[in-house]
Amino acid sequence: MTALIIFAILAVLLLTGMPVSIALGLTVFSFLFSMTTIPLDAIALKLFTGIEKFEIMAIPFFILAGNFLTHGGVARRMIRFATSMIGHWYGGMGLAAVFACALFAAISGSSPATVMAVGSILVPAMVAQGYPARFGVGVISTSGGLGILIPPSIVMVMYTVATSGMVVTGPNGEPILSASIGTMFMAGVIPGLMLATMLGSTTFYRAWKNDYPRMTRATWAERFQAFRDSVWGLMLIVIIMGGIYGGLFTPTEAAAVSAVYAFVVAVWVYKDITLRDVPRVLLASAAMSAMLLYIITNAVMFAFILTSEQIPQLISAWLVDQGLGRVGFLMAINVILLIIGMVMEPSAVILIMAPILFPVAMKLGVNPVHFGIILVVNMEVGLCTPPVGLNLYVASALSKLGLTEVTRASFPWLATALTFLMLVTYVPEISLLLPNWLGMH
Amino acid sequence: MSLRFLDRFEETLISALMALAVLIIFVAVLHRFTISFAADLIGWSRAHDYPAVQAYARSAFKAINGIRLTWAQEATIYLFIWMAKFGAAYGVRIGIHVGVDILVEQLSPRARRPVTLTAFAACILFTALVAWFGANFVWGVAINGQTSPDLEIKMWIVYLAVPAGSALMCFRFLQATWLYATTGFIAHHDHGVVAGIEQEAKDLSDGGHA
Repeated sequence: MTALIIFAILAVLLLTGMPVSIALGLTVFSFLFSMTTIPLDAIALKLFTGIEKFEIMAIPFFILAGNFLTHGGVARRMIRFATSMIGHWYGGMGLAAVFACALFAAISGSSPATVMAVGSILVPAMVAQGYPARFGVGVISTSGGLGILIPPSIVMVMYTVATSGMVVTGPNGEPILSASIGTMFMAGVIPGLMLATMLGSTTFYRAWKNDYPRMTRATWAERFQAFRDSVWGLMLIVIIMGGIYGGLFTPTEAAAVSAVYAFVVAVWVYKDITLRDVPRVLLASAAMSAMLLYIITNAVMFAFILTSEQIPQLISAWLVDQGLGRVGFLMAINVILLIIGMVMEPSAVILIMAPILFPVAMKLGVNPVHFGIILVVNMEVGLCTPPVGLNLYVASALSKLGLTEVTRASFPWLATALTFLMLVTYVPEISLLLPNWLGMH
Repeated sequence: MSLRFLDRFEETLISALMALAVLIIFVAVLHRFTISFAADLIGWSRAHDYPAVQAYARSAFKAINGIRLTWAQEATIYLFIWMAKFGAAYGVRIGIHVGVDILVEQLSPRARRPVTLTAFAACILFTALVAWFGANFVWGVAINGQTSPDLEIKMWIVYLAVPAGSALMCFRFLQATWLYATTGFIAHHDHGVVAGIEQEAKDLSDGGHA
């Protein structure tokens, strides 16, 4: 009953179009004033201590690092590297678009920015080569979502933040630890590469069937040149992953070091931006981080209320009673998350839903890392589905095609992504192979 | 005039806090690496019998190890708390706080107005409440004189960010409501902005290679 009231209040507030963060906070307040015995002070304290964790500070640093390199020049270097490697295959530019999206998304960390950057450069180039514009738009609006799966990923940090410190038990009552940021990052590598390969296969197949133009094969000298140009940006991922895995830094330190590295590369190596642009990048990053941290603060309060009212436990008991089992439960959360992911932004969905679903999943014996990857892939699909898929809006804006047409154009790739979601959901090895092999838990 | 000063102050504050936090953590990491490098060098020079190198490494180690940076983590957290609270207020001005606008978009402009005004009113109420509770809380902390573990600064100064930031945010929401009520304008942040795109696209259409 309490659960229903809380979610009803939240739903009504959200539907007025107010910011998600404030809707969460107001739900907590209205619940507090009307029907609970939790002392106000306990909640007030959460307002202050909600983001007082060093792990959370990785988020602003990753955003800053990404923003330094979210530049047309970086996108172009990634595109050139991608086209020189695989441009001569069927659907060459389309394949290169998938590849370039994966690289750029990993560095910039923003899906809409990836669609914008790679799309504005590649879609006109593809049209000039004789591809239909719809083909390019379809590839790029879907591949732009790869960024939240390939590390470093802010959505993964959000998952760790939302579930860390939760006291949960497995099927036999044994305590279960939540996943760490480093493990989540490692776990994202194979699924990320796999999804990129699958999106590439769809591109290849459609290009082969329609006999779209191929590019001339690049020479090894050109390939080396393109690689040398793009490697500075790609080193960002190596520094972060290597640093965390090698035990050189904590994830937050890795993020801060990568921000300094990105600054040096953008200003002195690539010379895409000048020192005069730095305040603008800092301000944009600060605004973005503050928005996310504000959602976190309010989501922490919300989760606190849910926990103190035992709501995750109730939902978990109810779901277990339904006899859904692991298979049915995972199917159910995929459907729920896809629907919520269609209307809400990924970080907010994770922060609200992870604390509720995590205990249930653990009770049913799902691995915490695997569960996190399922959530992230769901969010990725949600970015590319109407009505509120951010990627579709950006793709529509840059290609001047209508939203419906963009949606229809991206359908083959969206279907691929959904197939991939099923694979990831029911084959835990895809997510767990690399972290297990590296001995991370 | 004074409002423009407030705008600049807000922007400069959050940018500076961001830059400062990165620098602190970066220096702390460098510091740790240098210490372990100096320690390795001492071991290496001892093993290979280079007393001069060993002496240098030892004094370098002592000097660097003498600098205590244990407060770095704590300082970063506090800087980010201030950045988050004031950044959230700046975010209202540029419309970065996103909501679920799927239903509102379906409404006719006439039906939409009261819903949006209600949403704004709720935002004003919430931020005002947080400012009020926050101020009470900070007052309590100031009276019992709590200090932070590493930096030993007064905690009320750290926590002041919550009421001050929320009050500013409340003011920004009032401004935004006024703007909407009088002109119908709502700020929207565009997440698909990438610098330097036009230039690259132009190069390509002029015949450059992708």
